[in-house]
Amino acid sequence: MLADVAHDTNNDPAIEFRHVSYELPSGQVILEDFNLQVRRGEILVLLGRSGSGKTTTLKLVNRLLAPTRGEIQVAGDFGDDVIRLRRSIGYVIQEVGLFPHFTVERNIGVVPRIEGWPKERMHARTRELLQMVGLDAALASRYPHQLSGGQRQRVGVARALAADPAILLMDEPFGALDPLTRDELQREFIALQQRLHKTVLFVTHDLNEALRLGSRIALMEAGKLITVLPPEEFLRSDDALAAAYVRAFASGLNSSGKRGAS
Amino acid sequence: MTLRRITARQMRQFVTLFIASSTLVLSSACSSSHSDRIVIGSKNFTESLILGELMAQQIVAHTNLRVERRFYLAGTYICHQAILGGRIDIYPEYTGTALTAILKQRPGADRKQIYEYVKGEYEKRFDLTLLPPLGFNNTFAMEIRGEDARRLQLKMLSQAARYAPQWRAGFGYEFMERPDGYQGLAAAYGLRFASSPRVMDLGLLARALKDRQIDMAAGNATDGLIPALDLFVLDDDRHYFPPYEAVPVVRSETLRRHPELADALARLGGKISDGEMQQLNYDVDGSHRDVKDVAHDFLKKKGLLEPASSTPAAGNLAQ
Amino acid sequence: MNLLHFLLQNHQEVLELTLEHLWLVAASTLIAVLLGVPLGILIAHRPPFSKPVLTGANIIQTVPSLALFGFLLPVPWLGDRAERLAILALTLYALLPVVRNTYTGIRGVDPAVVEAGRAMGLTPRQLLTQVELPLAVSVILSGIRVAVVISVGLATIAAAVGAGGLGELIFRGLAMVNNQLILAGAIPAALLALLADFGIGLLERRLRPR
Repeated sequence: MLADVAHDTNNDPAIEFRHVSYELPSGQVILEDFNLQVRRGEILVLLGRSGSGKTTTLKLVNRLLAPTRGEIQVAGDFGDDVIRLRRSIGYVIQEVGLFPHFTVERNIGVVPRIEGWPKERMHARTRELLQMVGLDAALASRYPHQLSGGQRQRVGVARALAADPAILLMDEPFGALDPLTRDELQREFIALQQRLHKTVLFVTHDLNEALRLGSRIALMEAGKLITVLPPEEFLRSDDALAAAYVRAFASGLNSSGKRGAS
Repeated sequence: MTLRRITARQMRQFVTLFIASSTLVLSSACSSSHSDRIVIGSKNFTESLILGELMAQQIVAHTNLRVERRFYLAGTYICHQAILGGRIDIYPEYTGTALTAILKQRPGADRKQIYEYVKGEYEKRFDLTLLPPLGFNNTFAMEIRGEDARRLQLKMLSQAARYAPQWRAGFGYEFMERPDGYQGLAAAYGLRFASSPRVMDLGLLARALKDRQIDMAAGNATDGLIPALDLFVLDDDRHYFPPYEAVPVVRSETLRRHPELADALARLGGKISDGEMQQLNYDVDGSHRDVKDVAHDFLKKKGLLEPASSTPAAGNLAQ
Repeated sequence: MNLLHFLLQNHQEVLELTLEHLWLVAASTLIAVLLGVPLGILIAHRPPFSKPVLTGANIIQTVPSLALFGFLLPVPWLGDRAERLAILALTLYALLPVVRNTYTGIRGVDPAVVEAGRAMGLTPRQLLTQVELPLAVSVILSGIRVAVVISVGLATIAAAVGAGGLGELIFRGLAMVNNQLILAGAIPAALLALLADFGIGLLERRLRPR
């Protein structure tokens, strides 16, 4: 049930959007004829301003929203079973959404628990994950309200990774953190991804973050996909919107962008 | 503290406590046995109190049972519910009231028939037993001033109907409203008064009659003030009013457990006449004597406190 | 004082009526919770129904209690036994606080938490029992507390239609102009209400999530 990186057919995309449209009941169009393939093991960043439809796109993958037209294919044999689909996909959001009445350990173990993992296995996995996201094992018995913002989001990531999903959906996960913590978490996430090779669909409106984390950047505007480019090409792109973005973030380019400046 | 941990442990404690207390409450609510205690109820007017007190003292005198009084219950329905629910074991009711208010039947005129019918229905439907009637009929009474009765030689309502056009009538609210009240009466006797009847509080009717503000009133046959104010009750010769015989109503279950109750209360059967009830009512309402004393004196006078070794006639001769 | 002496002498009757009173309150509150909490959950998850249901419960609450008892008296099966109609009436009055607080409690759960739960693959039932209800339980209890306190008060009026309970002492005391009797009914009733308020309030506080 959990997609196994080893036995995939390498060229099949992990996620595919085919002519997907999403309309609100009021008639407002959020996504229009959206086509995109997300390759296995890549971090695809959805970049755009508020209202461009990026969060909607994300939610269509784990069926929190259903498309008005078109289809989204996710690698793995899920059929109509939305629950199984969701349990095979990790989800990290900006507000984190940890259960306030569960300890850190229980929060991380939500999916393993409902999947019926034996206690020792859950316990071991929690330790492993806490270490992976850089948290002290002693925090396992604390409650979310006792943690800092950065610590909470680390737990959020650990929780998403608990059942070892092949796909991670992340919606501006570091947006609510202070710049120092954000920087820290971004670096650590890159390191983590080098170990785990998850397929990541990452939403942000921050070009710096996109350049730093993404293996490809998909630029969205008003519900349409404008262009999909690797970071270096994005910086040099002729596309009007992409160029506008680059200009707007020009100040940021001179600082510690991993992919460097002009 | 942690929501989860508290929930599990506290919940168990809470649930246990809840179940324990519910069981306690339910079991006590369900059991209507007062062991050796008999609870007597009454409605909230003087006559009912007196009857309740008479029954209570009778039981104390002739059985080993402890008696508890729950008087002043606010009406027929309340008493009925209380006896059904086992909160009281006995209370004094009227056959006519039981017929119309509880059994919801149209009133008839035959005393015996109504008594038998009510007795049967009560046993069948409610497992309640009616003991023999106490002897008086507290029906509606059409009253006129004693002097008018003597002067015009009036004894019956049909006779008095002739003078109605010259008279003013006064009635209580209930009598005006009930279909078996004024409307039916006027039809039955062809009563037509000078002007529409005055409506006022029951307690004021007797005074108004005495003070010549009205000439005919609808009161209760056992009103204490009737002899006191020299009022005369016209005979209902056309038998318009249904009978309201006073009867003790007892839970059959209580009777089964304490058969001696039946004997003790049956001795009251037929012992109170209309006139005697009037007098008792007056003693309490008019003379302001204590209900307990009034009841005790009456029972003594009638020899009802004596043990039931001899026939009632012989017992009475003893005084 | 006289009252104490009176209570000691008549403790059996007062105790009996207190238990009767508790029975009326407990039965009606239990039914209200069994009906009201699921109903509250339903309308919290389906907002279009919330308005009619809450309005309906509100209307019931607005009907004066004695009037409601009066309405129910002529009803065939109900009116025959005062306890039945009293329990029904008390249940109806307890519904609004329970339904409304369940609704508010569930709606009040952090949407991010609910979204995270759904996205993780919790079934609607798991979401309800593991996340929404535990987080809403304090608010729901608050509604139950209000319902119980209201019921204790209304149950005293139920005596007016023959349902028994401590109200019977009050009414009899009024008819006899006997203050001791009135207090013998009123004080235990007030104590019951205070106890319930305090006790459930304690539980509420312990269960409130951080």
